[in-house]
Amino acid sequence: MTKALPVPGSPSDGAPVPAVEDTAQQVPPAGRSRRPRGGGAWSRYASALRTPKGMAAAVLLVLLVAVAVLAPVIFPGGYDQQARGALQGPSGGHWLGTDEFGRDILVRTVYGLRTDLSLILTAVPVSLVIGTLLGLSGYLSKPLGAVTQRILDIILGFPGLILGIMIVLVIGTGWLALFMAIVIAGLPGFGRMARGGLLSEQQREYVLAARVLGVKRSTIMVRHILPNVVDPLLVQASVFMVVAIFIEAGLSIVGLGINPPNPSLGAMLNVGARYVQSLPSYVIGPGAVLLLLALAFTLLSDALNQAATRR
Amino acid sequence: MIRFLVRRIPSVALVLVATSVIAFLLPRLVPGDPAAVVAGPDATPETIAAIRTELGLDRPLVTQYLDWVRGLFTGDLGQSLQYNRPVSELIGDRLASTVELAVLAGIFLVVFGIGLGILAGSARSRWARVLVEGTNTGLLAAPPFLVGLLFILLFGVAFRVLPISGEISVLENPSIGIQYLLLPALALALPMSAGVARLVQTRMLAVRQEDFIDLAVSKGVSPRRIDVRHVLRNSLGPAVVAIGIRFGDLLAGAVVIEAIFARNGLGQLAVSGAQSSDYTVVQVLIVGAVFIAVVGQLLTEIVLAALDPRVRLG
Repeated sequence: MTKALPVPGSPSDGAPVPAVEDTAQQVPPAGRSRRPRGGGAWSRYASALRTPKGMAAAVLLVLLVAVAVLAPVIFPGGYDQQARGALQGPSGGHWLGTDEFGRDILVRTVYGLRTDLSLILTAVPVSLVIGTLLGLSGYLSKPLGAVTQRILDIILGFPGLILGIMIVLVIGTGWLALFMAIVIAGLPGFGRMARGGLLSEQQREYVLAARVLGVKRSTIMVRHILPNVVDPLLVQASVFMVVAIFIEAGLSIVGLGINPPNPSLGAMLNVGARYVQSLPSYVIGPGAVLLLLALAFTLLSDALNQAATRR
Repeated sequence: MIRFLVRRIPSVALVLVATSVIAFLLPRLVPGDPAAVVAGPDATPETIAAIRTELGLDRPLVTQYLDWVRGLFTGDLGQSLQYNRPVSELIGDRLASTVELAVLAGIFLVVFGIGLGILAGSARSRWARVLVEGTNTGLLAAPPFLVGLLFILLFGVAFRVLPISGEISVLENPSIGIQYLLLPALALALPMSAGVARLVQTRMLAVRQEDFIDLAVSKGVSPRRIDVRHVLRNSLGPAVVAIGIRFGDLLAGAVVIEAIFARNGLGQLAVSGAQSSDYTVVQVLIVGAVFIAVVGQLLTEIVLAALDPRVRLG
């Protein structure tokens, strides 16, 4: 997977900036007013957040991220401070009770959320970028695109969890294994979507027109094709956030997640499931946060999808 | 049909060979000496050398691979590094547990997937459709482990009518065994059946718009017969495909479900193998899982052709 990745726009292109200006002159003004440059995309995404769904997603996400970021401020004691009793039920001092080592479950849930967010917010963008580059590699040469597609198909053949088991087998359990499992599991989705966009955009009249006008291949990619594949890719990224959360949880529940004593939502569910009859809050707490996180990204992807298809 | 199977051999073989190569290379991708990793941190050089010979790591890579593949075919799967027992024995011990789970979950997947889909697709009353669609959407978003956790919360805490952990072989004691099997199989099947149900439903709604349905109505065919003979038969294709491609997910889901419900199946073997770098065991399980997924897809295409005479195999 780590062979030299083709970077669209980079090959034999010393000065991309003037090239973009050239194109701007060649594009008829009518085209410009229909799809405003730069700010247009952002305002469209911003309008997605003003719909009820988008608003709910934004509020939920801001709340969850704020709690996760501020965890050391809210709970300065850290996640492995031990109280007197182990496996105590919910009380005024410990809202969700204490775990098998007497650590506060609520505190660990918040720190677990921090772990989960740090994981998906780094792994999904990395997967998005690598997957997109792999998908667009067919632009450089057709055989390269075909080979990449084959490789992505093979990855797709492995269910996420089996992929995770393979990665753990090679590099051992921990943050890195989860990170790589998420990145690799996302590649086929992003790659296929980027390739699909590339194939359909390549045939469009405006791209053919740009080629006839002698616009550089790299400019066509960056200026014309890429902007048109970005929308579905971003929607896919927000959908994949949910999948990533579930990959973390699935691997952690079977015991292949973050190494203890670090908390993650899935790792807490793994232990909590053993004590479900005596201490249901051990499962309910982290489980509810996991659901909220998944819900937030599901709403976000819905809102983005609506905004992307509306134009 | 035989011509079809022959034609599919190259692509099936490609996937299987690629998988086996990946599985074979896994322990050799580990940074450092795999024999040293297997031996543990405080092993003597002699032990490491012995392990290297036992794993065959001192021979050329291609020979190692061919030997290993031959072992897969002859059933000589090597020795587990963790348990010091033959891998085939370890797998044999746990196979029944996972097969029971997968078979019952597969039955549930077909029954609930197609059943819910037909309910949603043929419901005349609005509220019934909304109800079924609501259930589907709720389940669609939930992975098996969430449904599993919900089940152990419901049945472990609120209604203690079914056991939530452990297992008893269905073959040895059917009436008790099935009780232990019911919740895990349901948790595994329900989320996937929601996806199948949605496909059946949308397909049924689409088929209803077709001309041949209008023709049947104008001929005076009874609504029930139209539903069964005309709409349903033309709607099952996508469902069959959807079930077929979920074979792999079913196996992967079984790993998580086994962990949640404390069942001692192949998934647990794979997990403990991954935790303790028991390469010989995990390699075989990976190849086995992919093999079953590929066979599942082949079967899917054959069933599809049986359902729809327009689809020709060959």
